[in-house]
Amino acid sequence: MIKSIVILIVLSLCIGTGAWLFFIWTVKRGDFDDVEGPKYRMLDDDDESSTQPGPSQGEKK
Amino acid sequence: MSSPDSCVHCNLPIPPADLVVDQIDGKELHFCCHGCQGVYRIITGAGLESFYRNRSWDEQGVPTGAFEAEYDEASLAGHVIRRDATTADISLIIEGIRCASCVWLLEKLLVREAGVTAIRVNYGTHRAVIRFNPQETTPAKIFTSISRLGYLPHPFSPGAAQRAAAREQRSLLIRFGTAAFLSMQLMGFSFALYGGYFHGIDPQIRQLIQYFAAAVATPVVFYSGWPFLAGAWRSLKNRSASMDLLISLGVSTAYCYSIYAMFKGGEVYFDTAAMIITLILLGRLFESSARNRSISGIDKLLQLAPDSANRLNGDEVNTVASASLTPGDIILVRPGERIPVDCQILAGVTEVDESTITGEPMPVLREEGDKVSAGSLNLSTSIKLKVEKVAVESFIARMARLVEEAQNRKAPIQSMADRVATVFVPLVTSIAIGTWAFWWFSGASHAEALLNAVSVLIVACPCALGLATPTAVLAASGSAAGKGILFRGGDILELTSRVDLIAFDKTGTLTHGQPTVEQIIPASGQTETTLLELASRAESGSSHPLAMAVLARAKTAGIQPGPAGPVTTVPGRGLKMQCTDGEILVGSRAFLTESGVGIPTIDSGTRTEVHVSLDGVWQGLLLLHDPLRQAAQQTVRELKKLGLDMVLLTGDRPETAQQVSETLALPDYLANMSPADKTAWIETRQGDNHTVMMVGDGINDAPALSLADVGCAMAGGTDIALETSDLVLTRPNLESLHIAIFIARKAMQVIKQNLFWAFSYNLVTIPLAASGKLAPVWAAAAMAGSSILVVSNSLRLGRLVRRTFSVAKPPASD
Repeated sequence: MIKSIVILIVLSLCIGTGAWLFFIWTVKRGDFDDVEGPKYRMLDDDDESSTQPGPSQGEKK
Repeated sequence: MSSPDSCVHCNLPIPPADLVVDQIDGKELHFCCHGCQGVYRIITGAGLESFYRNRSWDEQGVPTGAFEAEYDEASLAGHVIRRDATTADISLIIEGIRCASCVWLLEKLLVREAGVTAIRVNYGTHRAVIRFNPQETTPAKIFTSISRLGYLPHPFSPGAAQRAAAREQRSLLIRFGTAAFLSMQLMGFSFALYGGYFHGIDPQIRQLIQYFAAAVATPVVFYSGWPFLAGAWRSLKNRSASMDLLISLGVSTAYCYSIYAMFKGGEVYFDTAAMIITLILLGRLFESSARNRSISGIDKLLQLAPDSANRLNGDEVNTVASASLTPGDIILVRPGERIPVDCQILAGVTEVDESTITGEPMPVLREEGDKVSAGSLNLSTSIKLKVEKVAVESFIARMARLVEEAQNRKAPIQSMADRVATVFVPLVTSIAIGTWAFWWFSGASHAEALLNAVSVLIVACPCALGLATPTAVLAASGSAAGKGILFRGGDILELTSRVDLIAFDKTGTLTHGQPTVEQIIPASGQTETTLLELASRAESGSSHPLAMAVLARAKTAGIQPGPAGPVTTVPGRGLKMQCTDGEILVGSRAFLTESGVGIPTIDSGTRTEVHVSLDGVWQGLLLLHDPLRQAAQQTVRELKKLGLDMVLLTGDRPETAQQVSETLALPDYLANMSPADKTAWIETRQGDNHTVMMVGDGINDAPALSLADVGCAMAGGTDIALETSDLVLTRPNLESLHIAIFIARKAMQVIKQNLFWAFSYNLVTIPLAASGKLAPVWAAAAMAGSSILVVSNSLRLGRLVRRTFSVAKPPASD
């Protein structure tokens, strides 16, 4: 009983941590710096290179 | 798509003298200049015509000087960040972006330039980062391509303050994200524990889950909650109580007690500690993103002065960076260029548009010996100038300093929540100590006395108190945004509700800032039509605001000007045209009188006279003035009803100020005010315990806007005014002002109700906790109930605003 609870909790923590790391990565990548843009870019219908991410707007390391 | 007499690219009306006709794809297209024609060819050539279908420009035209801009390789080199041999980045701000299509066009076209690898334009800030290959292209080439599209790029290196603000915003986001993620995990554990409390649970499993709960709660308290802990430490050091201290007090007692209870086998409250931190961080995140929009203010101001100047070296003209100019240098400024530093005119007579500096729309005549300020626009002829001050001491730089000083001088306000904490923190602490003392002296065990004291601190935990302000602020800002009002933060909302004195700038705020023809008085034997036709024929090539007003009037009257001839402009006086019908003179009374034209006396009041004569015979005059905004009168009436005092502050003449304040029934006016006078006046009023709101639009208003308790700017004003203000009316509609004050006052009411409720909750629970009779689960339930009540009370605000202003008013398009 205890064993399975521990396993399940640890598993859920691992999945959660994965999502959390993904979130940190997106913030560092600057995905939240321009929250206005994507709604327009989404409607931009031609299939040219605009999908590739540009240089980050924020700080330079 | 565009009417036959406006430019296909920039939508501006085309002065007949400048008409450029082009045949593209068998269609005849009209342009106002070769620059616009060039842009149209570039855009259609690249197959991006959809730009013209998709764009939505509120403003017409292209930024002044966009097509002619020259870029100096050496001065741009300093802004380039090299990555490796074939990659480099440059950051810039692009002026002239009005809509999403502009961003789309820039990204699409620039990425096709040879050597440009990637470009990203930020929709909100108009900043862009371009990555390019320095072996294939140079920054100057990229800048030139942007300016050929009718946009004006400025190199931009974020200052230390901006970098810090961006870092702050990111770290807040990460702290909140972390808290949210861990709190979600914690909720699962808490759910199991609550279930166990009611239905029984194996103590071993309970302790196990408690360990996990402690593990996820610890980072929330010490990492995500760090800003509160640090703030609490600061306020302890300053011996003052703040909201941070109250939050930290509640969080740390709940946390420490839970750790203790976990080992003793009691109930834990990790969820309380974590939820408070998460919710309050969310509130801060919203506030800081609203605030960060205003950060680039001072930076933009400095960019008004052009980066390069034409220095005369004998007969030779060299393009140099403005920063390298020293007093005594001789420079040349052509028509359409901005003056780079403060100068004195050596040779030439010209008209200068100082509207960005003084706020007054009428050009000013400047002749030999006169001084001109950096940032003003040369309109009519080329002038030779002697440099008087270096760039860092020029008008614009001084104004930037004034803004900065004003911002620093502005006392930080103590928000309502902080004032509440000042009373609450000592009160709660003393009750807790009192509880402990009472139980200790009445013979209870040491542990029991301590437990009761701690439970006082836990139930006093400011959950509802912490939510009271942020939720109301959020609801108010949301409904305000729907009405075109942007509050930059909760403190602004609070200050706006306390405003009791409003200072208005005149030009561009109460008036349109553009002259229009008000009355046409033809000489006997003439009609309005013939008079307008003559005037518009002579002025058709001019970009003078008065000429534009006359042309606009002629256009609405459907008048086609006759054949034009050679024009001579006399700056500040008028112009002369030789045409088939004879010599037309259009200009001031003095100009025509000097040329021997007899003019009858006419009382024109404060309006500007434009006289017209043909072959020495007076044909009549046009009276122009800067009309009041439609909503101005009503707004002043509504604001009076709200019990506000108002005053007009203007740099204009007393007669005009008097006339405007009489028409609007404004209680008071002050004329001939310089930017420094305005700030001084506001400071005196603030000294008399007034909460002052300043409404303005020009660069000259920027220091006053930043100093006033609430600086309010309207869309259509200069960028710098928008950036230095706390309250922005995003539609050029003065009426929103009283709605803003209404919303702010209602929001404060709601905040007070919320705080009252949070207190009543504490009033009931603290005595219960102190007497040791409060079961922890009831405390938690009551806390949740009071939080829900507070949140729904805040949401009421949105409905209230919608109901009050739901009467569909016609959009006041003035």
